Amino acid sequence: MSGPGDGGRERLGGLVAALLADDGSKSWPGAVPRRLGSVLGTMPAPARAGVRAAAAAVDAYAALRTGRRMRGLTPDERETVLASLAARPSLLPVLDAVKVPVMLAAGTERMLHEEPAPTGQAAPTGQTPPPDDPPLDCVPSVEWPDRSSADAVVIGSGAGGAIAARTLARAGMRVLVLEEGRRHTTADFGRRAPLDRFGELYRDGGGTVALGNPPVVLPVGRAVGGTTVVNSGTCYRTPDRVLTRWRDSYGLSFADRAAFGECLDEVERTLQVATAPLDVLGRNGRTALLGAERLGWQAAPLRRNATGCKGSCQCVVGCPTGAKQSVQLSVLPDACAAGARIVTQAYVQRILVEKDRPGGPRACGVAVRRPDGSELEILSPLVVVAAGALHSPPLLRRSGLGGHPRLGRNLAIHPAASVAGRFAEPVTAWRGVLQSVGVEELHDDGILIEATAGPPGMGSFVLPGVGRALRRELDGAESLATLGAMIADLPSGRVLGARRTLLRYDLARRDGERLMRAVEAMGRVLFAAGADEVLTGIPAAPKAYSQDQLRELLRGLSAKQLHLSAFHPTGTVALGADPQTAPADTAGRLRGVQGVVIADGSALPSCPEVNPQLTIMATALAVGRAAAEPAGVARSA
Amino acid sequence: MGAGRGTAFSEVMSGSVLLDGESGPRAMRLDLSVRAEDVLLPHRTTEAVVTGRVRIAGLADDARATGELEISPLARRRIRYRIGFTVGSRRYVLDGWKSISLGRPVKSMTLLPFSLFEGDAEREGGAEGLPGMHGGSDDGGGRARAAGTGTLRFPLTTQLLPFLTSFRFPRAGGGAAAQLAPRWDGAPGRTEVWYTTVTDPATRTGLWLHHELVAPSDGSGAYAHGWVARFPADGEGPVEHARFGPEPWKPPPAGEGFAADGIKSGPGGLRGAAGPFRWELAERPLDGPLFTFPHWSWRRQLLPAAQIVPAPRASYTGTFAYEGGELRLDGAHGATARIYGHGNARRWAWLHADLGGGDVLEIVAATSMRPGLRRLPPLVFLRLRKDGRTWPRRPERTALGWAGPGRFKARVSLPTWTVTGRCGLRRIRVEVSQPEERTLALDYTDPDGSGAVCRNSETADAHILLERWWGRWRKEAEWSLDGTAHAEVGDR
Repeated sequence: MSGPGDGGRERLGGLVAALLADDGSKSWPGAVPRRLGSVLGTMPAPARAGVRAAAAAVDAYAALRTGRRMRGLTPDERETVLASLAARPSLLPVLDAVKVPVMLAAGTERMLHEEPAPTGQAAPTGQTPPPDDPPLDCVPSVEWPDRSSADAVVIGSGAGGAIAARTLARAGMRVLVLEEGRRHTTADFGRRAPLDRFGELYRDGGGTVALGNPPVVLPVGRAVGGTTVVNSGTCYRTPDRVLTRWRDSYGLSFADRAAFGECLDEVERTLQVATAPLDVLGRNGRTALLGAERLGWQAAPLRRNATGCKGSCQCVVGCPTGAKQSVQLSVLPDACAAGARIVTQAYVQRILVEKDRPGGPRACGVAVRRPDGSELEILSPLVVVAAGALHSPPLLRRSGLGGHPRLGRNLAIHPAASVAGRFAEPVTAWRGVLQSVGVEELHDDGILIEATAGPPGMGSFVLPGVGRALRRELDGAESLATLGAMIADLPSGRVLGARRTLLRYDLARRDGERLMRAVEAMGRVLFAAGADEVLTGIPAAPKAYSQDQLRELLRGLSAKQLHLSAFHPTGTVALGADPQTAPADTAGRLRGVQGVVIADGSALPSCPEVNPQLTIMATALAVGRAAAEPAGVARSA
Repeated sequence: MGAGRGTAFSEVMSGSVLLDGESGPRAMRLDLSVRAEDVLLPHRTTEAVVTGRVRIAGLADDARATGELEISPLARRRIRYRIGFTVGSRRYVLDGWKSISLGRPVKSMTLLPFSLFEGDAEREGGAEGLPGMHGGSDDGGGRARAAGTGTLRFPLTTQLLPFLTSFRFPRAGGGAAAQLAPRWDGAPGRTEVWYTTVTDPATRTGLWLHHELVAPSDGSGAYAHGWVARFPADGEGPVEHARFGPEPWKPPPAGEGFAADGIKSGPGGLRGAAGPFRWELAERPLDGPLFTFPHWSWRRQLLPAAQIVPAPRASYTGTFAYEGGELRLDGAHGATARIYGHGNARRWAWLHADLGGGDVLEIVAATSMRPGLRRLPPLVFLRLRKDGRTWPRRPERTALGWAGPGRFKARVSLPTWTVTGRCGLRRIRVEVSQPEERTLALDYTDPDGSGAVCRNSETADAHILLERWWGRWRKEAEWSLDGTAHAEVGDR
């Protein structure tokens, strides 16, 4: 039988075989097309269509050139066809875009075939199984009644939403947390391969892209716990200079160093933040430490919310040992103990607004869509919006609350580039802490370098080359150390759309220069640590063998050629004292409506310049306390 | 719709409820009667009070359910129902709302998903006491517990017509007391009457207390006068009466009715003394106002005169002393009626009949003094309040019919007069007898100085036959009042 599905898979198979130079000597490349199909299945339709179209185009090119399609060619012929394609510089970015999902699938298959033990099965013998997760009061939306009421509804169970829910529940309110994703337990994480979790834990299968030049991949989590389930666990306190700016320029009174410090302290206690111990750090992190030490640069293991970390290096697909204190393990259990309840698989369609209230419109609850398409409604005088910086603005827009001209603008994403260094010794970056060491030498210039390595295929570094060259890189991936650098960016992005989110991010010239400087700085660290060569991740200039050569290479390039990814979207419903520029006031209340409070990354007025988990949580804590106050007053009256 | 109107309608919904711990749903039905203080406007939010019956198959049948309704189809896109009812000793609360979607108007207006909460049976009363209603209100003591969920539907095919025809916009806040205040605006040529008729159930004695304000047409000073009469039960003596006044009219303080020379009639009761009579009666209205004449004629004075009954059923408690005795009334039934206009009719007949069980019949049949109008047959205003509803719906119907045909007919004569008429699927026949020995004839004087004679009996007999068409005329109800009807016939 042959159908369109078969034809599509065949085309994908041809592309995969060519990209990976599959000569049949190993069995794992043969399993990649099927895996790729399932990866694409979790991605948004445009991305899926793009990859399939690219595969079809390559197939058509092969047919024109040789008379046969990719699948029917010999490995050598495939290599020739691909080489002739790769020889055109304008096609390189397209090939790179197709390469990302293929590498994702290939990394997993290679790992499963070559080292099945650590991930394929549950805990290997001799290793204690992870402890049970603390109890959560989770109810799937299908089991939740069509009509209910609460004192406060929190939209989103991520960093901001969890803290806000806990704060309000502890103030004695009946709190409902609404989460679009499902609940995933540590035991679930331990049972399944990383890539299987990847598609479920991320929105759009991790394929969220901000359009622009260059486009930026911007993956965000979707699960009970939000992005904290899939972040690296790095916990930076908000830098003082950022707090000062927020207090003085944006009028945020809670951003006072002492008051905010107290919020940060409480969040750190909850998350059990501590410095990552050296023994589980892994060679990737130690390499970065060594390089920085030789340069005399300031660097240290990162502070993380994973005290019992075993170095599984799977933070980004859910910690399989339960060490990382994502909010569903730390904050949400407290919230549930205080009476909060969590409704999962609940997509909030809109906030219900009563327009005829004296004193202006007032939020009165939410309308929620279940996976089966049916709707439920919850009435609540307080609605806390914590859907994340990318999804709070569309939610407010489709609720008719998107009137403020700055809503959805002011998007800072903390863009990141990554660089890899090849060492003579194996580094095996995927053993150890995923994000382990911070190099803060250039932090005052807005550049924060962190040693980061994902599970195979899942890192944000894209290996260079196609065909046999790529295969060589893949086979030699064990000896690669990877660094990433995030730059404090100007808020040059925008969240568009109401029903669907559309992202636009135009890298500012200043930020482009910062990124190039960051790439060079990462090269310096790697060369100082003893790297034989540094892979830039830029298709046009993939490798440098010395620092001077790297500097020369980068001189002719711009940040537009980098593979950019970002993980920290903030600022789209910014808090601020100026009603003209800030959609929400300094206590987090959305302007133009009563009863809506912003408590997620979108509330931050500008880029926090560090991994924002603690900052978002401390902000949500301050906002939640302010929101609980009037209720407390009313209660005692 | 003028200000001060309310809204009342009834609604039926049926569906099912799945109670926690049960495997299958149970059938459920709501019969609601909704009453709001304001006119229901779709673009506004209207709060209403709900009473009605909640039935859950095999579990509950509470005919005394109460709650509240928030009707806001456009402003808040929501019609919220919060109804408390009792099952055995347990108190349940239904909380749900129709979520109005302009894209699916029919479905969203007829579908009511709800949650059921089980609360504390001791917490009674309106919605304030309903558990699980308002945010956090259930924190103290009786925390409402979710008890089930369900969906009710408004059955369009069978209930739409009854629902739409049930809508009423009654005057809100116009209780009996408000209708007892004087209406005279100082214009000459007006007369205003407060008259109370009572039957003492113990002795079957009838009482008539007539209080009148006359502003003569010649512009001379308005004066108050009246009379009081006792109608002993059949064969126990002659009808006695005494007049009081005239006294110059002094406007009473706000909130009172008629007051002159120590004689008062107004909200709360009547008292005074005249001749051998001395009375002190507390009045308690048992029913809302009954407009014998159309609302507009009472409010806007567009007819020569209009009569209404502020409380068609009222109870009277107190004493009524007469020469040689005293009546002690305890919850005696009667009514106070009001007339305001230019003077008496050319010819008229009046009946007030307390039919028992909360039903009451009020008839005024009159021929006007106005040129042209006086040639018409008597206009009949008949109002039957039965089972809480007034028939016919509009007072104009009995007087005018369909511009003549179909109007109710009166044959006014003494000692017996009749009224007959048909409206919708019902017809009525009323026969009133005023035996001469139980009738008191008094002279009336109009503001213009002309006179009339009124023959009144508070111990009249009446026979009322109400029939309904169902293939043929079938008897719906029949009442015979033996000496307890209040009636009069006047002419010139």
